[in-house]
Amino acid sequence: MNIKRDIERIRRRLAVTLMLLGMIASPAGVWARIQGVTGVQGPKGPVFHLTAGSFHITTPDGHSLLMWGYGIAGSKTQYPGPTLIVNEGDQVTVTLTNQGLPMPVSILFPGQHRVVATGGSTGQITRESTGPNDTVTYTFVASHPGTYTYYSGTRPGLQVEMGLVGALIVRPKAGADHAYNDPATRFDREYLLLLTEVDQAVHTQVELGHLDQINNTLTHSTLWFINGRNGPDTLYDDNVGWMPHQPYGALVRMHPGEKVLMRVIGGGRELHPFHTHGNNFTLIARDGRELSSGPGQGIDLAVSDYTLQVQPGATYDAIFEWTGEKLGWDIYGTTAGGRPHTCVDNDGDGFDETTHEYCPDHEKPIPVILPENQQLTFGPFYSGSPFLGVLGNLPPGEGGMNLYGGMYFMWHSHSERELTNDNIYPGGMLTMLIVEHPSVPIP
Amino acid sequence: MKHNKPNTGEATMDTRRIANRLAAFGLASSLALVTGTALAIPFIQCPGDDLKSDGVTPGHDAVPEPTSPNYDPSVKCMHLIAGDGYVRMADGREVYIFGFGDVTGVDEDKVMSQGMLHATFPAPRIVLEEGQKFYLTLTNVGMVMRPDLFDPHTVHFHGFPNASTIFDGVPDNSISINMGSSLTYFYNIVEPGTYMYHCHVEAAEHMQMGMLGNLYVHAAQDRLPDGTTFANGFVHHTGNHYAYDDQDGSTRYDVEYPIQIGSFDVEFHDADENVQPLPFADMKDDYGMLNGRGYPDTVDPNPVTPPTKNGNFPSQVEDSRIVAKQGQRILLRISNLNVTRFYTLRTLGLDMEVIGQGARQLRGPDPDGNGPLLGKNVYYKTNSVTLGGGEAIDVIIDTTGVPPGKYFLYTTNLHYLSNNQEDYGGMMTEIIIN
Repeated sequence: MNIKRDIERIRRRLAVTLMLLGMIASPAGVWARIQGVTGVQGPKGPVFHLTAGSFHITTPDGHSLLMWGYGIAGSKTQYPGPTLIVNEGDQVTVTLTNQGLPMPVSILFPGQHRVVATGGSTGQITRESTGPNDTVTYTFVASHPGTYTYYSGTRPGLQVEMGLVGALIVRPKAGADHAYNDPATRFDREYLLLLTEVDQAVHTQVELGHLDQINNTLTHSTLWFINGRNGPDTLYDDNVGWMPHQPYGALVRMHPGEKVLMRVIGGGRELHPFHTHGNNFTLIARDGRELSSGPGQGIDLAVSDYTLQVQPGATYDAIFEWTGEKLGWDIYGTTAGGRPHTCVDNDGDGFDETTHEYCPDHEKPIPVILPENQQLTFGPFYSGSPFLGVLGNLPPGEGGMNLYGGMYFMWHSHSERELTNDNIYPGGMLTMLIVEHPSVPIP
Repeated sequence: MKHNKPNTGEATMDTRRIANRLAAFGLASSLALVTGTALAIPFIQCPGDDLKSDGVTPGHDAVPEPTSPNYDPSVKCMHLIAGDGYVRMADGREVYIFGFGDVTGVDEDKVMSQGMLHATFPAPRIVLEEGQKFYLTLTNVGMVMRPDLFDPHTVHFHGFPNASTIFDGVPDNSISINMGSSLTYFYNIVEPGTYMYHCHVEAAEHMQMGMLGNLYVHAAQDRLPDGTTFANGFVHHTGNHYAYDDQDGSTRYDVEYPIQIGSFDVEFHDADENVQPLPFADMKDDYGMLNGRGYPDTVDPNPVTPPTKNGNFPSQVEDSRIVAKQGQRILLRISNLNVTRFYTLRTLGLDMEVIGQGARQLRGPDPDGNGPLLGKNVYYKTNSVTLGGGEAIDVIIDTTGVPPGKYFLYTTNLHYLSNNQEDYGGMMTEIIIN
C-alpha cells in the first residue's frame, strides 16, 4: 500500500531529525523560553519593524505552497509571523511595510486596548500598508500579561489562510518565569502551540493570480499545522536550514515534576480539539485573561481537562505536569530488574526531592509480562523499555529514534482526519511531548 | 466527490467476497499455526484467573476465581478482541467496521474463533471503580474482510492520568499487538470520571472505522461508611453515588448513562472494505449516532437486528435511552469520539448542570493547596453542550418537579438528525421521566 510506504518514508525522515536533535548542542538556560523577537529599544519602548511578503514552503506530502507571512525587516518572512515578546506595561510600536503582496495588508492586535494606527493608508478595519513606500505604524500599551495573537485585518479570510498570523506574548511584572502575576502561574518551561489549517486550492489560485475567483466560504482544508509546520516537521528543531520560512518547531520536552506552560492559539478559522496524551492540563487563562473571579482571588476558576477546545482566534494558557504518580509500578524499574535507584522523600510530599519519582511505587515491578518481540509492532519512538530513561533491546530496524529512553506522548488534534498531510497519514496537527529522565539535559 | 451508492444487487457479490476472504484468512491462520502454535492461544494475564469458564479445567478466561490463592478483590480483568465486523445503520444499511469485542469469560482456546468478524460498535463499555487494578488483555484476531492488512491494534485509555508510554497505546511511541497475539495493559485506577477508549493505530482510519468505546470510573466516595458527614454538612448514605469525590455531595446522582457522540462516513467505510484509497481530507460523516446507533434505534432497548454480513452476530447491543423517575438526578457522561467535527447536544425542556469535564470535577484549585478547603465549584447550567472529538463532560439533570413524559436529547447540528438520506433520525435519543 502506498500509505505504508509513505509512513516508512516519514519514519526515515524522523530518524534523521532525532539524530540531529541529539547532536545539535544547545545553549544552557535556567528554563526554556519560546523563541521570538523582543524588538529594538525605541524612546518609548520596544519597536518591531515588520514586513509582509510571500514565499514558498514545502509540506511533508511534497507540495510546494505559496504563503504570505510577516517577518522582521531585513530577515525572512515566515509562517507563522515572528513571535513578538514584550513586557507588561511596555509602550509597543509595530511598523508594517508591504513588500510585494498584491493587495494591502495590516495587523490587528486582539486583546490589546487603545491600539493607535498612524500612517499607511485607510482600510476597512484598521490602517494598512499598500506597498514598500507605505508604512503603517501601530502603537499600544501592553497593559495586561498573557498570550495573544495578531493577524491581518485586511481581507482576513484570505490573508490569515495565506499565513498572516502570529503570536504576541506579554510577560508579567512577576517575571519571565510566570505567565501572569499570580504565583500559581509560575512555570519551568513554556511552549507555543499555534494551530492553523490550509486549503491548498486557495494558495494555487493566489499563485496563479486568480484573486477575484477565491471564495472564502468554500475553503476545504487539506493541511493542518502547529507553529506553521505539519507533522512530522513539527518535531524538528527551531531554525533548521531546510525550512527557512518555518522557524518554529513544536516538540515539547520536560522532566518529571516540572511545570510546562502551554501557550495555545487558535490561529486559523476552524475549531480543533487539542488532546494532551500523558496527563490532564490545568487551564489558567483565556484570551490573555486569568481564569479568576476577581482581584485577589488568584486563578480560582482554573479547571483541568485532557482535551482543549481551541476556538478560532482564541488563545489559551494551560499548565501541564507529569510525574508518573500512582502508576502502581516503578517507572524507573526495580533493583531486581537491574535498575537500582533511590527514592528519597524528605518533605513527605510523596516524591523524591530531585527526580520527582513517586516513592510509594518505588521498587514495585511492572505487573504484566510484555509479549515477545515477534508478536509486537514497534513504534519509531519506542525506547525498547517500559522504564523511563532506559534503552531496551529492539529488533534490527525497529525504534531507534528515542535517544535517551524518554517517554513520548502525542499531543494532537483529536479530529483525527486532521492528522494527515493531503490525505497521507500520519502528519498534520500533531507533535510530541517527551518526558525525559531527570538526568537528561533539556535546553 | 461524494455519491451514495445504492445498496442493491451487491449481496451476491458480497457473499462471494466474504467467502473468498474467509478462505484466505483461514489459510493465513493455518500458516500461523504451522509456524508457531503459541500464537493461536491468547495470553491472558489476570491475577486469580486459573480456571476456564467451567470452573474446573485449568486455563484462562479473564475471570478470576475467588478460590484462587492469587485472588485479589481489587483486581478487575477484561478481555477484548480487536478485529473487524459489520453494523446495521438505522436506515437498514450494513456497514463494514473495525472494532473491539468483549470476550471476557470466553475460554482462551475459543477466543480466536469467537472473536473473528465479531467486532461490536460501540466498543464494549468499560466500567471501573476507583481503586481497582485493571488488567485489560487485547487479542488481535485479524481483519477477516481485509486479509491484505496486517494491522496491529492498541487500546488508548484516553485521559488516563500520569500515563506511562507502554500502556498508552500510541503505536508510534510504544508497542502494538500483531494478529494472533495478545497484549495485557495494566492500569491503576486512581481518578474517577468520564474517559473513553479507542485504538490509536493509524488513528484517522481505525477510529473512523469504529474502534471507539465508553469508559468511566466510579468514585470511591460511593463506598464511604453510612452517615459520613462532610464539612459543608452533607451526609453520605449508603447507596448514594457521586460522579467525583466532591466532599460536598454536589455531584450526587441516582442514575447514570454514558452517551458517546459518534458519526460515520459510509463512503470511507465502503472504500476501506473494498481496498480503495482512503479520503481523509474529504471525510464527511453522514450518519450521526449516540452510542453507535442513529434514532430511532437509539431508544430500542434490544440489540439492533444483526447484520447478515457478519453471520447475524448482534454487533450493536448498547442503546442510549435515558430513563429516570421524577425527582431523580440523572448523570450523563457525554463524550465525543468522532474524528471529523464538533457536535452540540441539546436537551429540550430540561436543564443540564455541567459538573465535570476531562474526567475532573469542574472545580477550581484548592485555595491553599493543602486541603481541607475546597476549590470553587464552577458548575454552570445550560441546555446545550458542544464537544469536539476527544472531549468529555459530565452533566446532571435534576428532574425534581419535572412533569413525567418524554424529553429529547439531540444535536443542534440539525443536518445530523438523519440517517444518511433518511430524515427523522440520527443523533437523537429520548429522556423518559416516569
